[in-house]
Amino acid sequence: MNKELEHQFVTELENNQNIVHKVCSLYTNDRDSHNDLFQEITIQLWKAYPKFRGDSKFSTWMYRVALNTAITLYRKSKKRIRTQDYESVIFKIKADEYDETQEQQLKLMYKAVKQLGDIDKALVFLYLEDKNYGEIAETLGITEVNARVKMNRIKTKLRTILNP
Amino acid sequence: MMDELELLKKDWQKKDELMPKLSYDEIHKMTWKKSSSIVKWILIISILEFTLPHLLYILPSSRDVLSVYQNNSMSPYFVAMSIFSYSIALYFIFQFYRRYREISVLDNSKNLMRKIIKTRRTVKNYIIFSLSMVLVMVIVIVIGIYLNNDFLSDLDFGEKAKDVSPEKLKLSLMMAVGIVGVLLTFAMGVIYFLLYGLLLRKLKKNYTELRRLEV
Repeated sequence: MNKELEHQFVTELENNQNIVHKVCSLYTNDRDSHNDLFQEITIQLWKAYPKFRGDSKFSTWMYRVALNTAITLYRKSKKRIRTQDYESVIFKIKADEYDETQEQQLKLMYKAVKQLGDIDKALVFLYLEDKNYGEIAETLGITEVNARVKMNRIKTKLRTILNP
Repeated sequence: MMDELELLKKDWQKKDELMPKLSYDEIHKMTWKKSSSIVKWILIISILEFTLPHLLYILPSSRDVLSVYQNNSMSPYFVAMSIFSYSIALYFIFQFYRRYREISVLDNSKNLMRKIIKTRRTVKNYIIFSLSMVLVMVIVIVIGIYLNNDFLSDLDFGEKAKDVSPEKLKLSLMMAVGIVGVLLTFAMGVIYFLLYGLLLRKLKKNYTELRRLEV
């Protein structure tokens, strides 16, 4: 693969890396795994890049590859020790923007989301990224109706986790 | 709940600033790393499975057993069986390659999982086939030993075997080949299913969940 394509790819990914980091923070629990998953997603993106025609936005295309890698292709390594001092980025909240109850509420919500299964997480992730149900359904390969049904179930599930 | 999710969504959108930032060089380095995805593992394991049984023939001990067959009346059957199993193996390799090529990370999640499972199933069928072939082979060898009387002279057992009667030698040889053959086949089967069971546990769980939605 030629140098120019490579440069183009790395630049695009550098500018859009937040999407990948967000996926990693949802699906992993420590820094090593986060980096590991980030690397695997990068490899998958790069392998698929020649097929990216630019008919959709680079970021749109990234969602699919990143989620597919996290849900399906990535093999969690079991050897990793959970680093105590590491607080997943997902729990970092800019404290000055919320009052105490809201902040508490947010932390609980993120914790609840982290407890969801792989597929549920994918739906929540796309929902949080402001994707509509059509896009969510297309990414996962289910119907739009089922995506809605599933999302409602997840909301119920989250409610139960928050108010046991 | 709606409000809480909306609050979460707003906060989520602001998360960008808190995310780690990798430099151009760091990302560039990653593009040259090797993938360790399950598809890669399936490919590696499958290649091993397609080649390992054939490497067995290189071992001196198995060559000895084979030479017994090449020297006597069983030879045509043996050749026929080899041709048969090789053509089946080639068919499986072709099938595997075709399905493997269909796997694309650009598919939707459900299709991607379905194709991976389909590819794996090809290897699974191949394994079941080759393990049954090994068993058939073991049976044929055992029967061969039983039916042939002159083969003992083909094998060189050395001085120690001189005192043992030919019947006893024959019987123990049949037992040894039979037991070792069956145990080996069984062990290979267990290793294989454990390997894939662990590798694809997560995938299967997620695939079932997506499929359950459609009912």
